[in-house]
Amino acid sequence: MTDTIEAGGLTKVFGESVTAVDDVSFRVREGEVFGFLGPNGAGKTTTVNMLTTGLRPTRGRATVDGVDVLARPAEVRRRIGVIFQESTADDDLTGRENLKLAAALYGVPVGETAGRVQQLLDLLQLGDAAERRVKTYSGGMRRRLEIAASLVHTPAVLFLDEPTLGLDPQARAGIAEVIRSLRKDGGHSFFLTTHYLDEADSLCDRIAIIDHGKIRAIGTPSELKEKVGGDVVTVVPTRDDVDSSATFAAVPGVLGVARTNGSYRLKALRGESIVPGAVQAALAAGVGLATVSVKRPSLDEVFLEFTGRAYREEEGPSATDWAVRVQRFRGGGR
Amino acid sequence: MTVREFLALTQRELLKWIRAPIGIVSSLMLPFFYLLLFGQALNLGKLVPASEAGAVYLGAPDYFSYFSVGMVGFIMLFTGLFAGANVIFARRFGTLKKETAAPIPREIIFTSRVSAGVIRGVIFGTVVFAIAIAFAHVPGLNGLTLTGTSGVLGAAEILVAMACVTALFSSIFIALGFLTEQIESYFALVNLVNLPVLFSSNALFPTSLFPAWLKGIAAWNPVSLGVDVMRENAFGSQAYYPYSPAEYLGILLALTIVFVAGMAVVTRWSLRPR
Repeated sequence: MTDTIEAGGLTKVFGESVTAVDDVSFRVREGEVFGFLGPNGAGKTTTVNMLTTGLRPTRGRATVDGVDVLARPAEVRRRIGVIFQESTADDDLTGRENLKLAAALYGVPVGETAGRVQQLLDLLQLGDAAERRVKTYSGGMRRRLEIAASLVHTPAVLFLDEPTLGLDPQARAGIAEVIRSLRKDGGHSFFLTTHYLDEADSLCDRIAIIDHGKIRAIGTPSELKEKVGGDVVTVVPTRDDVDSSATFAAVPGVLGVARTNGSYRLKALRGESIVPGAVQAALAAGVGLATVSVKRPSLDEVFLEFTGRAYREEEGPSATDWAVRVQRFRGGGR
Repeated sequence: MTVREFLALTQRELLKWIRAPIGIVSSLMLPFFYLLLFGQALNLGKLVPASEAGAVYLGAPDYFSYFSVGMVGFIMLFTGLFAGANVIFARRFGTLKKETAAPIPREIIFTSRVSAGVIRGVIFGTVVFAIAIAFAHVPGLNGLTLTGTSGVLGAAEILVAMACVTALFSSIFIALGFLTEQIESYFALVNLVNLPVLFSSNALFPTSLFPAWLKGIAAWNPVSLGVDVMRENAFGSQAYYPYSPAEYLGILLALTIVFVAGMAVVTRWSLRPR
């Protein structure tokens, strides 16, 4: 299987000190859906922008469909379709007019344009809305139109930068279904960025976990989960003033203990089998328990394993943070 | 292939324009009220002795006729000044990204917008001409009286002059739209430029009434050059001008080519990958 994207030591430094992407190397195989998973600000969009020729890498090199992004940017643009995070369709034009414009910009032969546009409108289920101006479209319809526009010239590689960002669950599911069906039909490779763990898990053949501009791990979702090394039992004590790591580490069957934000993550080959021992050990040490839960490895755990931080921490202020902010606001900023 | 992409983007700009009829009407309101109120109220004709009228108005039959052709230059200038606002909105709404991600020469992104501006300007200019001529048939209103005899060639020179003035100012302000991301800064610059350019041209008042220093500036003002071409042809008044319409048009065309080419380079630079 050949590679459609090859990135080596790709680095982008903004200004003199902000390193958005730091020495990133990876390969995307022909026909696969390759996902970049990471929190906001991890460097996903910067990587997409470098691969799609919108940004110049500070260091490193990359080829897309065998073409060097620095040496022949126009040729790269001819071979790719890009779905940006924000809508790029023209609100004042109809869906069909937007697609015809995209066909003209990407050099689809005049004689083939009408048929190709109709085919894409049907494929993306936009036929009924084709003559309506895009300003009347829902969020999901806009994303489908973006996908249609990016496919108009049958690109070798499709870049999807957070394709479901801001959509409701139903629309998200619809877009995921479109990507799955395009993957099944073949003919394209996909580079997808997302900060939704479930999306990466269900859509991608392989995933790169990116954090603070660096790739922390690459593999299939199941390979990454295997690397976590078994189930995770999360023990939350009622009090967090004493470190009980040694107590839990001594429980038979526990492979490792990590203390994070007032809870303990115990690794075990079979999570259920260590729960009685962990509870007994805690009670014997005088540690009260609030909750004990067993989890099969998920990408959530994978992210934690490779970055050392829980994924949710990166999503934005926690509920407690918000409560403090609201309180400060009401109290006049004190 | 490049021609098709250029035409597709020009068509897109024009579709957006005709689908915002309020914008079209409000753009025409300004010259309309200038013709209806300013042109009727400012009866410069009464201040200029009849014996000197020909020399002051450079062969135009009366002040309103002189002024209304200047108003065509005025609408060219204004169309050009506002042509770049769409670029800022296109960047803000994301549509510019679609163009920059496409495998098209960056110059097309610029020239298609200039060409759409020119088409808008020529249509506006023709409408202003028509309104001014129509005023002549409304009792109680001064109107534009055409006395030129240069026929189709003269009309063609007028249209090319309109296109040049709009292209020149459109190119500057479209490039500005690519350079600035803030609509506030853009309009601040438009406000800064519009009245000095207008008042330092021959659009509203005869330059023979100007002080010498301002007369020099007005002679080279692109609005004046375009209006000179239009007035000479509209009134057949070549005898009052040092240069023929074709000569003025040649200078204007050369200036326009320099500005459009220069601004295309500026736009290309502003769109370079960082």
